[in-house]
Amino acid sequence: MIAVEQLTKIYGRRTALDAVSFEVPRGEIFGFVGPNGAGKTTTLRILAALMEPTAGRAFVDGADVTMQPDRVHERLGYMPDFFGVYDQLTSAEYLDFYAACYRQPKARRKKITDDLLELVGLSDRRDQAVDTLSRGLKQRLCLARALVHDPAVLLLDEPASGLDPRARVEMREILKELQKMGKTIVISSHILPELTELCTMVGIIDQGRMRATGPVQDVIRQLTSGRRLRISVLGQREEAVAVLKPLPMIHSLSAQNGAIEAEYEGDDATAAAILQTLTAAGIRVSGFSQLEGGLEDAFMRATEDTP
Amino acid sequence: MNPIAVALWNPIVAKEYRSRMRTWRSPVAMTVYILLLGGLGWAIFSSMTFAARNSFNGGQAANYGQGLFLYLVLFQMVLLAFITPALTAGAISSERERQTIDLLFVTKLPSFSILWGKLLASMSFVLLLLLLSVPIFSLVFLFGGIELDQLAAAFLVTAVSALTLGIIGIACSTAFRRTLPATVSAYGAAFILLAGSLLFGLLFLTDIDPNATAAPAPPAVTYLSPLIPLITIGTNGPINNYGVRNGNNNVYPSGGGGMACSTTPAGVQSCYPIGPNGASGKVIAGPSSNLVQARGTTIPSGLFSGWQYWQATVTMQLVLSLIALIVGAVLLSPIRHLPWRRRAAAKATT
Repeated sequence: MIAVEQLTKIYGRRTALDAVSFEVPRGEIFGFVGPNGAGKTTTLRILAALMEPTAGRAFVDGADVTMQPDRVHERLGYMPDFFGVYDQLTSAEYLDFYAACYRQPKARRKKITDDLLELVGLSDRRDQAVDTLSRGLKQRLCLARALVHDPAVLLLDEPASGLDPRARVEMREILKELQKMGKTIVISSHILPELTELCTMVGIIDQGRMRATGPVQDVIRQLTSGRRLRISVLGQREEAVAVLKPLPMIHSLSAQNGAIEAEYEGDDATAAAILQTLTAAGIRVSGFSQLEGGLEDAFMRATEDTP
Repeated sequence: MNPIAVALWNPIVAKEYRSRMRTWRSPVAMTVYILLLGGLGWAIFSSMTFAARNSFNGGQAANYGQGLFLYLVLFQMVLLAFITPALTAGAISSERERQTIDLLFVTKLPSFSILWGKLLASMSFVLLLLLLSVPIFSLVFLFGGIELDQLAAAFLVTAVSALTLGIIGIACSTAFRRTLPATVSAYGAAFILLAGSLLFGLLFLTDIDPNATAAPAPPAVTYLSPLIPLITIGTNGPINNYGVRNGNNNVYPSGGGGMACSTTPAGVQSCYPIGPNGASGKVIAGPSSNLVQARGTTIPSGLFSGWQYWQATVTMQLVLSLIALIVGAVLLSPIRHLPWRRRAAAKATT
């Protein structure tokens, strides 16, 4: 649905994007993660045909963003990282205005407006002036605006920034609803826990370079080399390390809060074998657990070794 | 809807009307406009009646009418030159500052429609102000001395000049990212258009060809200023002594060449050249001659020879507007679809 090929953007002497490539198939939620200034917004703006790339190409549903921006705009709903609301208009008028800008026939606009206000839970605010809405409500209204022409693809730039936890959960519920409707969604964010739960795919970008991209679990596996164990022993740390170190499946060992953290290559059976080896050597193991390598961990690893 | 109707009436116009008319600023602006124009009309009328009371001849009603009309059209033009840039200079740049312009770019509206919608919305407010001034202008007809065609021509010149200022304002708003420089440059352009072109006629006068067969006219650039046709319409005659070297009726310079002109009460201007050392030599033109005669408000010679002053002004301003509109539209698009760039891109990918 979305294809980005070797996208490069250079502002003066600063390279904002350096040969970024990724693909998002239909119906996926793609989490676009990276620290501030990594190039997330630039990528999304190029995808929304609001900016020309210096090199490389990008396609939305087969339409080239530089050659066919009109076709891209038809298929794409874009929600920037700012609200962009007009004062002096009510919520319903605001949506009606954008529906008209998308050339929706007048007869259908009222239904579109009502449906969208319903979807984002603003039906009771339809006659309230847009500039008097709270931040969370404005954000929801902006999401509704991106949907007025029923696009197949949604680009959401930091949809959860500045929202309180409740508003964030509500936003997530709306996005899940949209996923059920079969939309392809790209969300950029630096708030990771949100994305782990919501996204089916993830791309990690840092300093204009794509560090990793693919399904969430693949990326985690790709970035955290192997799996990790936390082993607690009763007073026999040195002995335990001496037993573990020669094992071929162990990559590295480290001491963390009195426990041993071991990175290993293998599956659950390998972990069981490690435990057996330890107990067979007479070491009293009081704790033995597998550590989940989360997206956060993957992200930290992907972005730590930057030059 | 057909494409032309879509292009002319786009959602931006409706939205702008809504948000403009919901503020207190619009009614206040309209009230102040009417008060200023009406106040000036009243002041002129009082001063004319005062002068008439103290003179032997008394006043002719037609003179009141003409005087009132002339001052009102000039003052209205100056007022609009102050109002129009303020209305349009922020049109695009304020959308940029509010960061709403991207949201319009991602819709199906072509960027020209955005520009056009903004222009239409501001210009209809100017048109509203012009309509509001009609009752004040109708007072002129109580006194007479002004025909309906003069009023129509004066309103046309005023409206076209406001349109030109509006389009230049929008082009400035597109060219500069921020409202402040856009506003400053739009006012600069308004000043150049109104006063600068007038000043040009004072600095770069038309030199007189002693063998000319037509009366001299000010340089063509000066017709850009709406003030010139407004004066010629208001006085129903050419502007004496303006834009022509030694064009003074009463001065016959002994030193060099020139042209002496005189205007008869019927508005017929006749000129004859003065040769070197003040010798008038051959009389090429005179009231009895059929060669050099500038009738009423017709431009006697030059680029627009034979045109009415207002026709020249309206034509030049419309050309200027068209250029500004094209520049604005090209500058606005985030991705410029210039044919040669598109070809280059296609070549690069194959």
